[in-house]
Amino acid sequence: MAVPREAPPLRSTALRPNAPGLVLEALRESWSRRRLIRYLVQADLKKKGSDTLLGNLWWILDPLLQMLVYVVLVTIIFARSQPDYPLFIFAAILPWKWFTSSISDAIASVTSQERLIKQIQFPKIVLPFASTVAGLVNFGFGLVGLAGLLVLLYPHRINITLVLIPVVALVQFAFTLALTFLAAATNVFYRDLGNVSRHLLRLWFYLSPALYSISQIDHLAAESPILGTLFRLNPFTILFEAYRDVIYAGTRPDWAGLASLFAVSLVLIAIAAWVFKRVEPSFAKVL
Amino acid sequence: MGLPPPLSDHVAIDVRDLGVSYSLRFTRKTTLHRSFTNLLKRANGPTNFWALQGVGFHVVNGESLAVIGPNGAGKSTLLQVLAGIILPTTGTVDVRGRVSSLLTLGAGFDQELTGRENIHLAGAFMGIDHRVMEERLQDIVDFADIGDFIDAPIRTYSTGMRARLGFSIATAVDPDILLLDEVLATGDQVFRAKSRARVMQLVRGAKAVILVAHDMNWVIEFCNRAILLEHGRIVAEGEPEAVVAVHRAHSELVKAAREAEIRRVSGGPQASAPSSSA
Repeated sequence: MAVPREAPPLRSTALRPNAPGLVLEALRESWSRRRLIRYLVQADLKKKGSDTLLGNLWWILDPLLQMLVYVVLVTIIFARSQPDYPLFIFAAILPWKWFTSSISDAIASVTSQERLIKQIQFPKIVLPFASTVAGLVNFGFGLVGLAGLLVLLYPHRINITLVLIPVVALVQFAFTLALTFLAAATNVFYRDLGNVSRHLLRLWFYLSPALYSISQIDHLAAESPILGTLFRLNPFTILFEAYRDVIYAGTRPDWAGLASLFAVSLVLIAIAAWVFKRVEPSFAKVL
Repeated sequence: MGLPPPLSDHVAIDVRDLGVSYSLRFTRKTTLHRSFTNLLKRANGPTNFWALQGVGFHVVNGESLAVIGPNGAGKSTLLQVLAGIILPTTGTVDVRGRVSSLLTLGAGFDQELTGRENIHLAGAFMGIDHRVMEERLQDIVDFADIGDFIDAPIRTYSTGMRARLGFSIATAVDPDILLLDEVLATGDQVFRAKSRARVMQLVRGAKAVILVAHDMNWVIEFCNRAILLEHGRIVAEGEPEAVVAVHRAHSELVKAAREAEIRRVSGGPQASAPSSSA
């Protein structure tokens, strides 16, 4: 009857591992507690579906309705459009919903478990990890909506490149995971993050080519090369373009861009895990 | 410290020069605004609060140690350090064996999940293998005596049912080292007797027990050694009866001082009240 314990028998502040040690510890903890992460994700799904009439059907409907709002806004009010515009923006709304739901869940993930954190020792890194996975499941539900959209309205857009969605999603997963670690840890010390993040996320969305294509702002990049470069460095420019390539255009994504974003995300995960593990011991004191 | 070098085989817990400090700059629900103002105020006033300082003791196998002291003496912090929830700021803590703290009376319950799901979730939080948890499930359900409610969401439970389930999850472990924070008075009388028996069973099964107690009868009855904490320091250590006596004497002194203080502060108006009514 082995009961695993993460805390080493001898505890002292002087015995804390160094930076690579902490990153490894975070990875080990996430792996050894994968079942806890699964339970947390299941709990999250159940909770979000339990108090509504349509339950988890909302996970499919929600992005579709959001798409409808933007379609009305852009095509009717701004009279600007792309061919098959609903699908064009749906390819961006879907991954964005994953990202925002993961980030906003992660922000509260540690602080909302205050009582538990003060009472038992467990690796807190599983909490933001579960937020990212829950967002991915959310994304999976959204793909059902995408399939419906493609089959019913845009059968001519169905292309073999759709099978590349998981590849793009993997890159997004890595990037999101790093940010959820940081968001969860920061909110323990600064509860302002919840308020700030809502506006930052909205700004980020409009600054990313979700409702428009990157070619539509070429003139901006031509006028100000710095702005153009910044725009292209935006991870969600790379991600949205990649999703759109495989879902909407039926072409292969920009592999170089995806690969470099993936590499950067892995480094970011290491940094974020290190930061998280560094501040983790003070969670029980600060909460 | 004056401790003899412990015999390594018999020692379950070895605490040396333990200090735990809390930063006063980051407290509950800090916001940017507050931490900026705190940063400005940093020049004057202390930035740290020492909850425990220079604490050293060890517990050998077969011992059960009582930790007593007034509120805010650092008893709970000590348990948190022993459970690995808080890291020592200074000194070392060596805990040899599986630790369980019976602090978790429904702390992590998820209102929307069923009792069964919460049992599994709690097990996963405690790091207990799910197969083991599966085996213990029936025991937990029986002991909590919640019957068919096991598949109903926790939010439909009564307070008593919730406490009973929390207790039976927390005690469904067999730890080497048991940390108890006097969670023994839960539920109705029948359950209290039942839970007392369960705790005794755990105490007997554990290699070492640390009990944070407010009920001095418990200390004298179940512990073979006691330490008295005051303001984060050990002020007395030894036989339970002797340490309890010191604690009582100190409490009397504190109480007397407080009463004198109250009389001094409220003395003025009280003395003048009769004269004005006369």
